[in-house]
Amino acid sequence: MRFPLTSLVLLTALASCDIVDLPKDGLATPIPPGSGTVTRRVLLEDCTGHLCTFCPEAAVIAEGLKGVYGDRMVIVAVHMSSTFAAPQAPVGDGIYDTDFRTEAGNAYEQQFLVNGLPKGLINRTPFNNSMAISRSSWSSAVAQLIDQPATIDLWVDSLAFNSGSNAITATVKAAVLTALPAAQNLTLYLTEDHIIDWQKDGTLPLGQQDIPDYEFNHVLRGALNSPWGEAFIPANAQPGDTLETTFTYPLPGNVLVPGNCSLVAYAYNNAGAQRYEVQQVAERKFTP
Amino acid sequence: MNETLPGVARHIAAAAALACSQLLLAQGGQVHGNFSMDGQLYNDDEQIGAVKPPADFGLNSWTNLNYRSGNGIFDAGIRLESYEPALLGYPAGAAYKGSGLGYRYATFRKDGLEVTAGNFYEQFGQGLAFRTYEERSLGVDNAMDGLRVKFSPDTGIYLKGIIGTQRLAFDKGTTQGIGIVRGIDGEIALVEAFPTVFPKLAERGNNLTIGGSFVSKFQPDQDPLLELPENVGLWAARAHYTNANWDLYSEYAYKINDPNGSNSNIYKPGQALMATASYSTKGLGISAGAHTYDNMAYQSDRGAPSLFDLNINYLPTLAKQHTYNLPATLYPYATQPNGEVAYSGEVFYKLKRGSKLGGKYGTKITANWSGAWSLDTTRLPNDTVHLMGYKTNFFAMGKHQYFSDFNVELRKKLSADWELALTYLNLVYDIETVQGKAGKPVIYADMFILEGLYNFNDRNSVRFELQQLTTKQDHGDWATALAEFTFSPHWFLAVMDQYNYGNADADQRTHYPIGSVGYIRGGSRFTFSYGRQRAGIFCVGGVCRVVPAANGLTASITTTF
Repeated sequence: MRFPLTSLVLLTALASCDIVDLPKDGLATPIPPGSGTVTRRVLLEDCTGHLCTFCPEAAVIAEGLKGVYGDRMVIVAVHMSSTFAAPQAPVGDGIYDTDFRTEAGNAYEQQFLVNGLPKGLINRTPFNNSMAISRSSWSSAVAQLIDQPATIDLWVDSLAFNSGSNAITATVKAAVLTALPAAQNLTLYLTEDHIIDWQKDGTLPLGQQDIPDYEFNHVLRGALNSPWGEAFIPANAQPGDTLETTFTYPLPGNVLVPGNCSLVAYAYNNAGAQRYEVQQVAERKFTP
Repeated sequence: MNETLPGVARHIAAAAALACSQLLLAQGGQVHGNFSMDGQLYNDDEQIGAVKPPADFGLNSWTNLNYRSGNGIFDAGIRLESYEPALLGYPAGAAYKGSGLGYRYATFRKDGLEVTAGNFYEQFGQGLAFRTYEERSLGVDNAMDGLRVKFSPDTGIYLKGIIGTQRLAFDKGTTQGIGIVRGIDGEIALVEAFPTVFPKLAERGNNLTIGGSFVSKFQPDQDPLLELPENVGLWAARAHYTNANWDLYSEYAYKINDPNGSNSNIYKPGQALMATASYSTKGLGISAGAHTYDNMAYQSDRGAPSLFDLNINYLPTLAKQHTYNLPATLYPYATQPNGEVAYSGEVFYKLKRGSKLGGKYGTKITANWSGAWSLDTTRLPNDTVHLMGYKTNFFAMGKHQYFSDFNVELRKKLSADWELALTYLNLVYDIETVQGKAGKPVIYADMFILEGLYNFNDRNSVRFELQQLTTKQDHGDWATALAEFTFSPHWFLAVMDQYNYGNADADQRTHYPIGSVGYIRGGSRFTFSYGRQRAGIFCVGGVCRVVPAANGLTASITTTF
């Protein structure tokens, strides 16, 4: 009996181990949907902070996914947490002095129980029972959501920046494609690219982890119409209905270079079991 | 007859359950249980950064009900849990909320076989391969939900098999992790199993146990950018020798490629080796330990929300677990599962009664040291093919010291009524690594603690502590004073104050007073406390959770029946 029992154990062991020698070999690039199909785009809210040692690595993962999915994915870097994003004493020495946090980011940290960074909110949909998703799962979580049939289409129809008044005027439109799971709120983000500042990077050797000229991209500068947005599409909207909203907002005071900014608009369920789930997102740069 | 069909079904089920329970009790079975709750009413306290939550009040409670049949072959039980809402900072990992069933199981035993269906806690060896457990004070609970089979085919031979998913969070009931965990474990107590083969060992009271485990987790690969291993296996082997004076234990574990959130998705295998040895004789005890952990975080979801969640294995710490307030809550050490080398040693000696140094009642001296360092590794940043991340010089210390704790305790009974203990600690603590406080310098601290116990009479006593911590880093110097009065058999009263008198910012030189009163009656204990709770961390066995600052009234009840 000894041999069969040993064989059984060894077989079980071997069957339960997948040794991967070439992790990037033989993977098929995701095929984009046909041009006539409206699919669900994905909003990745990268919860980050300048003292978060693995946040630069998370940003690289996010950019890698953006490289694969292109415009079907929108990244917003939401700085949050007093531990990882607060200015560091002595304030005034120029080192980790910038406070990238926003009212919206603070609200999301509380609402979605973001504990420990980096984390990602991906269409604000739980993945493997977690809302705040670890960076190692971003790729899988995005793959699960992207290119699903969309319930609505959403786009920034027009966008104009008035440097005199330092304000933007834009029109966002939505087309209802199928019955909606809930009424939709619309939230408008103002994001900025190419910000150079201090960032800690734990993947670098000790003594070299403080980067003075790190480039921050997709930085959330503020939610123009409040962290939770405003009512946009009623629950009883029918397929074929189109809605639009035109607005003018001053740029948040923390914006450095308006030309590096983008407007991000997203519609999310404002009720129901999947409250906060993002149904559709769109992004438009100030300077195409 | 307006009742709906589900309503009728519920009544039938309740009646059946009642009838069944009466039948089981009639057969000599017994029901036991316990209840515990911690509730807190919060105040805002700007000075210490305590923020009152929207609900003002938090409550955690647990009620266990367990049945055992009269013949002992059948057990069943449930645990009802409430988090309405959970106390601030609780639990350590994924959130708990609502009330519901947190644990249920049924077990039967027959002919050396034990089968458990439902929830269970289990451990293989010291846990390097597998350990599920509940540590309620931390809010750590990675209970399995599935099936466990134990079988002892002969004396001294023990086999176990487990399969199931793990508890992740709680939302009106448990939320399970995505991964499936499977494992087998075998252990042979050689002297017990083969006394004729090892007759001399048996005669001298020696015991030698060897064991081995294999554990595997399954999680689907949904990643379009990487080929992730869906089945990740880990094996471990162990040996344990004991006799009247010696206790020697060693365990080794090896894990295949396990790219996950905590190791930045690298494909390097993990390994762990631990060894402990202790010698004791009358009045003298000596122990030593060493371990290395390399890429050994092993969780049933590769994207688990944090290192507190869904742990399949457990990596013991060698750091001493202090009970005094300042060393226990300011700078306790947490195991670094993805890379550390650690050592420890302890000597205990009791100076004999009547000797010059021992005095009338004898004197106990304990000297303890533990230290932890990074691994000696070489990064492989250009490996974009195999994604191995780094290579390790096995069991070699890196240059980065995470922690060291040297402490000496002198404990002496002075008279029939008086007992004193004096403790000195010297601490090196890399708060950036251990607590994740980026940019904070390494802390070098010294602590002196005086503990005393005075018995007024057979029923009434006072225990007091005076603690002082000095450091130039972090929040500077601290002092704590504590007095606990016990009026047996029912009442106790305690007052404590922590004072951050050495804070460089004069506005932060804050007192944290708290007072408690308790009443004990039979198996029930009631405690009420009011005061400030300092922000800090709380650790058990090298696992730590962050405790936020709080101010308010706390009520606790525990009881058993």
